[in-house]
Amino acid sequence: MGVWDHVVAGFLAVLQSDPVLGIPIVLLMVLFGFLLGITVGATPGLAGPMAMAISLPILISIFGYSADALLPVLGFLIGIMKGATIGGAVPAILFNTPGTPDAFMTTLDGYPMAQKGEARRALRIAHFSSASGDTFSDIVLVVCAPFLAILVERYLDLPEKTALLILSLAFIASVIGNSVGKGIISMGLGLLAAMIATGEDFYPRLTLNQPALAEGIPIAAAILGVLILGEVFKALEDIYRGEAQAKPPEQTKVQGGAKSKDLRRLIPTIGRSAIIGTCIGALPGVGSTLAATLGYTSAKRRHTNRPDANSPAFGEGAPEGIAATEAANSSVSGANLIPVLSLGIPGNAAAVFLILAMDSIGGFNPGPSVFQLGGGINEGALNPEMVMAFGIFTTMFIANGLNWTIGGIFMRWVGVMTRIPKARLLPIVLLLTLTAIYVQETSMVAVWITLFFGFLGYVMRRIGMSPLPFVIAFILGGNLEATARQAFAATGADPFFLFNSPIAFVFMALAIGVVAFSLRKPVP
Amino acid sequence: MDSYLPTNLGGVIVKNFLKRIAAASALSVVAATSTLADGHGWKPDGPIKMIIAFAAGGGADTQARLIADDIQTATGWEIIPEQITGKGGVNALVALKDMPADGSAIALVVTESLGYNAAAAKGSGIAPDGFTGLTTTAGFQMGVVAKADKGWTSFEDMIAAAKDGDLRFGTMSPKLSDLAFLLGEAHDVEFNIVQVRGGRAVMDGVQAGDMDLGFMAGIQRKGVASGDLVNLASALSAPLVQTPDAPKFSDLGVEFNADGYFVFVAPGGMDPAAREAITAAIVEATNSGKAAGMIGKAFGGAVNIQGEELDALMAADFKSAGALMEAAQ
Repeated sequence: MGVWDHVVAGFLAVLQSDPVLGIPIVLLMVLFGFLLGITVGATPGLAGPMAMAISLPILISIFGYSADALLPVLGFLIGIMKGATIGGAVPAILFNTPGTPDAFMTTLDGYPMAQKGEARRALRIAHFSSASGDTFSDIVLVVCAPFLAILVERYLDLPEKTALLILSLAFIASVIGNSVGKGIISMGLGLLAAMIATGEDFYPRLTLNQPALAEGIPIAAAILGVLILGEVFKALEDIYRGEAQAKPPEQTKVQGGAKSKDLRRLIPTIGRSAIIGTCIGALPGVGSTLAATLGYTSAKRRHTNRPDANSPAFGEGAPEGIAATEAANSSVSGANLIPVLSLGIPGNAAAVFLILAMDSIGGFNPGPSVFQLGGGINEGALNPEMVMAFGIFTTMFIANGLNWTIGGIFMRWVGVMTRIPKARLLPIVLLLTLTAIYVQETSMVAVWITLFFGFLGYVMRRIGMSPLPFVIAFILGGNLEATARQAFAATGADPFFLFNSPIAFVFMALAIGVVAFSLRKPVP
Repeated sequence: MDSYLPTNLGGVIVKNFLKRIAAASALSVVAATSTLADGHGWKPDGPIKMIIAFAAGGGADTQARLIADDIQTATGWEIIPEQITGKGGVNALVALKDMPADGSAIALVVTESLGYNAAAAKGSGIAPDGFTGLTTTAGFQMGVVAKADKGWTSFEDMIAAAKDGDLRFGTMSPKLSDLAFLLGEAHDVEFNIVQVRGGRAVMDGVQAGDMDLGFMAGIQRKGVASGDLVNLASALSAPLVQTPDAPKFSDLGVEFNADGYFVFVAPGGMDPAAREAITAAIVEATNSGKAAGMIGKAFGGAVNIQGEELDALMAADFKSAGALMEAAQ
């Protein structure tokens, strides 16, 4: 069976999924996820990953653990991921409050445009740029992920794979946040948590004889605790201290549409930003906020060097400013699946929850084996994992289609979300998270563990330490240990297995290099 | 491949949804049907917890969930599957040990969990006499398997290659690692033994070239049939069904073997009526319905060892574990 058979089978797996109300369930789930994503993105204080985190356990409790559950659940999560990036632009333009952190740059030109009475035009530009960037990024994903996976499988042996994981972790710890030291500590804590009760021995290590820990820390509990509860605790404290109370949004009229000439003029800007966003997205650990910043600054530099008579300067309502930001942050959401699907390495918080979904449901192990023809059984058989991968690609393009068709209309409706006060919203998030954990794990111990990790996440945020290296290291920890053990055994117990092959040596040198280089960089 | 395409999702959603939202009314329906369907004389007082010692989504997990479904349909008993994985089934057994022995808790493990793994996990307090064996469901067709394009057609070819250079031998449990070591020792070669998690990982490793050969417990069937994989030896006390000519471990100078089964167990001292009724329900499920089809495809058909024969088998496995560990020191 060739690649094409897998593409067709993946496509059919989506379209022939069980119909609910006459519509294939996967399509329906992508739609719901997408609408939820836009709504959540438009709500300041909520972000895509938060909604993904809370939905996942609930979805699993509805769909169960069978292989059939994978596509509807992933479709929903992908819908949220994509919806949230365009939703973030809405309050940024209308009320000068970014709905998601990566929409901050959109406020710089979007809000001035809205003040000039061009809010509708600004929204239309944001939507067009966002949808274009998203589509571009998905195409790159579909083309690149299989080839990267095949290259990895062909050229990387166990020691090289170990070195690649170490390099990824070093890169993530160095580039996330503004302190390499804190990044590495965060990563180290994640690896430590991943070591509890795992390993090859029959004795559950590091559990302090606590039977509750004998199966290890429930992965959802640790991740939701650090990422979601930590954020909620910190935001609640900010509200208590009266720090983060956003100024009441000013109402603006939504009027003045964009002309197609307008959009055509922006295409080069969008193209450049989409390329920047896609490249950033493909690197593990660098999120959409940096992509947006880079996209914006590069467009600004270009605009300043070659001023356009028809367009105001950046910061005063330049359509290019919105286009550059939105194209860049949206084009991250396809490319970030390149390391997920080809290497099994999550690059940002959204990817963390996609991997978590794949891990929890089972039947799909992201990594190089996904794109093996024959599925390891024989050349005549379909590889179910590859079918699933193409099913995931199909859901991404469906989300894209929704983005182009109904995304723009729905965007204009959700401006109202900005007016929900955080003091009401956060307790709901807290309750939903704890409920979601209990639904999935059905044990109070998991709830206590979640609260513990929530406190850890809170402390990390208070001392300016990014929790993302913790989470990514926690997910990759088991994999890193297993690969390292296997590499050590396969090389006949060679203690220098990480340095004996040229490729592994280069990876290790890069890992040390990236940390050393980041240390030299002055703290901004 | 069909099983990976969503075919019955609507049903699954509705069923799970109902289960959670309207458990009470669903139960009353179940209770009404169960009086008709149950012919064994014994009935559980409430739901039966079925602990699954295998990762969600794999072959063993699917088997357990299908059996649960089949029993539920046939008898009306409510069965709640729950994953407790890790430590080769020892975690599941530790959790099961202290549950009530009234038929409200059972677990699917492998015989190795109560044999080698229980013996190796000192301090966990796990031994066969602390459990009631119900029945095995299927056996392993454990072979020593390599990719056909290695060019080895027999076990001797592989040994000749191993003498020229170190070969990587993939295994999926400490017991199998010991067996791989003894196999090498018996033929004066040293394998680099790479222990991974689960039979699927061994096959992926062998296919991707990360390992040269490895133990596979039935997953190799399609590959061997199509000529992509070769069964070099049977790790069992009997020949492999698919490749009867491959030498057995006893022919190859190894006095131990990898005979093993999936087995349902319950806490020790179980009420004999409950034991009989649950065993009968499992045996029926493994020989008819969805579970039987899956077991036939994935594990080569149901094997139901039960009663005293099963007790003897588990006791013998546990006893020989010490000897194997000593031999592999």
